[in-house]
Amino acid sequence: MKQLRAPLAGIRIADFTIHAAGPFSTHLLSQLGAECIKIESLTRPDAFRKPHAVYGRMQAATFDQVSANKLSVRLNLKHPEAVALAKRLVAVSDVAAESFRPGVMRRLGLDFDALCEVKSDLIYLSLSSSGQSGPDSHFAGYAPLFGAWGGLGWMTGYSDGPPVEMRHVMDHCAGMHAALATLAALNQRRRTGQAQHVDVAAREVACAMLGDALVLASAGQQVQRLGNADLALAPHGIYATARADRWLTLAVRGDADWQALQRVLGCSTSDARFATVASRRLHRRELDALVAGWLRECDADDTACRLQQSGVSAHVSWSMQDIADDAHLRARGALTEVSAPDIAPRLAVGAPARFSRTDEVGIRRLTPALGQDEDYVFGELLGLDSATRADLVEREVIL
Amino acid sequence: MPFTDVKSSSDQPLTGCRVVECSHSVAAAYAGRLLAAMGAQVVMLEPESGSALRQAPPWLEGSGESALFAYLSVGKSSRIAALDQSQGQQLLRDELAQAHIFIEDIPVAQRAACGLGSQAQTLSQDFPQLVHVSVLPFGATGPKAHWSAEEVNLLHAGGEGYLLPNGLSYEIFPERAPLKIYGHFASYQAGASAAMCALAAWWAAPTHGGQYVDVSAQDANLTVGAFALQRLGDGSLEHRATRKFRYGGVFQTQDGYLELLTLEDRQWQGLTELLGTPAWAQDAALQDPLERSRRGDEINQHIRTWMAQHPTQEIVRRAQELGVPAAKYRTPTEVIEGEHERARGLFGKVALPSGREVEVLAAPFQFHCTPLRRAGRVAGLGEMQAKDQA
Repeated sequence: MKQLRAPLAGIRIADFTIHAAGPFSTHLLSQLGAECIKIESLTRPDAFRKPHAVYGRMQAATFDQVSANKLSVRLNLKHPEAVALAKRLVAVSDVAAESFRPGVMRRLGLDFDALCEVKSDLIYLSLSSSGQSGPDSHFAGYAPLFGAWGGLGWMTGYSDGPPVEMRHVMDHCAGMHAALATLAALNQRRRTGQAQHVDVAAREVACAMLGDALVLASAGQQVQRLGNADLALAPHGIYATARADRWLTLAVRGDADWQALQRVLGCSTSDARFATVASRRLHRRELDALVAGWLRECDADDTACRLQQSGVSAHVSWSMQDIADDAHLRARGALTEVSAPDIAPRLAVGAPARFSRTDEVGIRRLTPALGQDEDYVFGELLGLDSATRADLVEREVIL
Repeated sequence: MPFTDVKSSSDQPLTGCRVVECSHSVAAAYAGRLLAAMGAQVVMLEPESGSALRQAPPWLEGSGESALFAYLSVGKSSRIAALDQSQGQQLLRDELAQAHIFIEDIPVAQRAACGLGSQAQTLSQDFPQLVHVSVLPFGATGPKAHWSAEEVNLLHAGGEGYLLPNGLSYEIFPERAPLKIYGHFASYQAGASAAMCALAAWWAAPTHGGQYVDVSAQDANLTVGAFALQRLGDGSLEHRATRKFRYGGVFQTQDGYLELLTLEDRQWQGLTELLGTPAWAQDAALQDPLERSRRGDEINQHIRTWMAQHPTQEIVRRAQELGVPAAKYRTPTEVIEGEHERARGLFGKVALPSGREVEVLAAPFQFHCTPLRRAGRVAGLGEMQAKDQA
């Protein structure tokens, strides 16, 4: 079989992760070429196979981004023989990934130490809400809680309002950092031949998003929620335009930008408070009011384009529909159209970057049906004949 | 022990990995920072005036040093290289000759003036094993490759900004402009993506040689925002007005704010117990999760009334005992003083160029077999040349 021309071609992942953050980390690695085998069971299917009423989804997802590219096998891990099979799968893999609460994998007999006995140079990724150690390590959590624990939720919001909850981007941000750390461990293994246990706490990834504020806090400084303001750039913010809910984001760096903004908008001011960068910073609120007035009757899209032509950083606040319609993202392969016999053509997030020599990155296959790849995984990789597999199904080891 | 105070160690995940970083943006600097945190030897090439990030807010009172630069530069070395001059360009090439990874954010239009050639492939001819990662707001190719952006633009070009705030904050201020996330969230996604792709390409180098990797901050933010695109494919265009949990979310307590979210039946049962098994929650219809979703606003009103009468810590402690996911919205000071964070050694002492010492988050990941070093320092401008001359 021709090997994929992708950076991680040849890497295999035994994927025990569930929900969002963990599956996203292995999805990214799969986009980069790794073969990712998702291990579930009929009794404990992953979230996308079930209704998700709190999110307003009343049935299973037909397409699930984070499970795309993955192979699927069933293993009833409550059964010792299934655990033994999982170990055999790990033995022929490079990475094992899990996202349970600390202790669950140990109870299953699938913790780092146990799996190193079958794969001495295993890279083992644990991605959890609060990490594998510490007094809160047993805490359950989801993306909004990661942001709350980590301080990012507190720091985000209108300066006179409540904190703001982080959503899936927080899960996926944690997943991306986990994928990065896994790659570092793989590169380390190539040098040392040693196993590694990577421990990613999603709340600590949230902390990493406010590393500067934490430096200030360590020095005893009080840090404030800034809303859309910036301490260096003015004018800076998100402004209403002629069309309802069509907002323009604007960041003016210095005098050249400031002059260009006035030129493009056909507006000007001789107010001395706005004559220098330092003065504009000092009178940020008054300046914001002035610029908001200038932009109120503008066409956001046209103004963003004209400002960019003059070197000013501006962009419309885009909905997902705007993104779906964007030629630039499609040209880059960041957006890709996917379809399958039971899935009408739709857009998905494609390659995370463009690689000049290993360019077969991105989505290769869609959401797997539960257990659809057992011929390959149990048959080819583990060498189980069909009678043995039928027996395992019969006894609900494969379930 | 997840981290170590040893200042240098030969046994870090990226020991032996040499990285050259030319960064003007938070994104490129964060990419280098993540690699440095894992043991890579990262050399910042700075202009004679120093990286603009050295002056970037927020600033430490007293010394006036940039807390952002301190965070982004721990563990890196600094060398001055004026890339608009031949001497600086030669220095860059000397550094690249020894490097495995080159991370830069030089706009495509300015590359030729920096001696990089207008085409990225130019470098691969001279340094065939080099992984060259460019991280730009909209990438190096595509119709908008020449567009510029700051953090606020990036967060909204990637789709997440339009969806913020949601929940309680939107309910209070429905007419206000959408929000950005604090700090440099969008740039950090770009930096993490750049570091991830750099290591993927480095992994492939023995087979494929070096290569050019074109990373876009907008792409990275769309990547982490994939769920909203998935929802669009399902027929639902998300908006901050409607992107709220049917019940749960941000709650004001007697003395602060907390986040509460129950996605599973057993968590709902725990929540009703937390609330003291009130009569309204005994409605048999609420045993059905779909019915609970339909009556989410009503449920939230009950929860809000109860939360306002209880202190945060007490609620969170009891909630976690009952298996109900709940967390206090913590301030940065509470985070840095957090018992959990201290137990995990999340922060390390770092010496700044002024000699001042602060604590800095060591890394957002831990390696149990070879703990990361957490103490460190922030290099003064051009420190490597000064050492060379000494």
